[in-house]
Amino acid sequence: MRTRGRVLRAVATGALLTLATASTTQAVEVGQKAPDFTLSDPNGKQVKLADLLGKGPVVIYTFIQAFTPT
Amino acid sequence: MNAQVVGVSADAAPTLKAFVKDNNTKHLLLADIRRTMLPAYGAVITDEKHPLFRYPKRAYFILDKTGTVKYVKVMNNPTDLLKAEEVLAAIKESGAS
Repeated sequence: MRTRGRVLRAVATGALLTLATASTTQAVEVGQKAPDFTLSDPNGKQVKLADLLGKGPVVIYTFIQAFTPT
Repeated sequence: MNAQVVGVSADAAPTLKAFVKDNNTKHLLLADIRRTMLPAYGAVITDEKHPLFRYPKRAYFILDKTGTVKYVKVMNNPTDLLKAEEVLAAIKESGAS
C-alpha cells in the first residue's frame, strides 16, 4: 500500500508539472491570410487549403483524437 | 451559403478512415499526424520540457473563400463544443459568407 501511495503521488506530481509547463502556440488572427497546409484525407489523398477555397466559406475545426469525446 | 466543414486531428489517416466508416461522417476529415497545420493555427498545446507533448486543442476557424481568417475560437476545454447554430451565426456575422 505504501509503495502504491508513492507511485500515485509521483504520477500526480508529474501530471501537475506537465500542466504547469504546457503552453499554447499563438492562434491565427482575424484579418490575416490563413496559413497554407497540405494534409491527408482518410484515404491518404493529399488535400491543400487552396483546394478548399474559392467555393464559399471554410469552417475548420480541430479535435484531439478520433473515437474520443474530444 | 455553400460552406465547407473540415475537421482536423492529429490522428493517422487510417484512423480517420475507420472513424468515418463507424460514424458515417459526411464532411471532410484531415490527418495532421506530423503536426504541421495545428501549430500554425495555434491549435496545439506544447511543452518545452516534453517535446512529444503536442496535443491539438479544440478550436474553430472560419475562412472566407479567399482564405482570409474571419473568425477564431480556441477552446481551453477539449470537450467544449460550439452548437451548429453558433457556427452558422458566426459564419454570417463574420462576413465570411
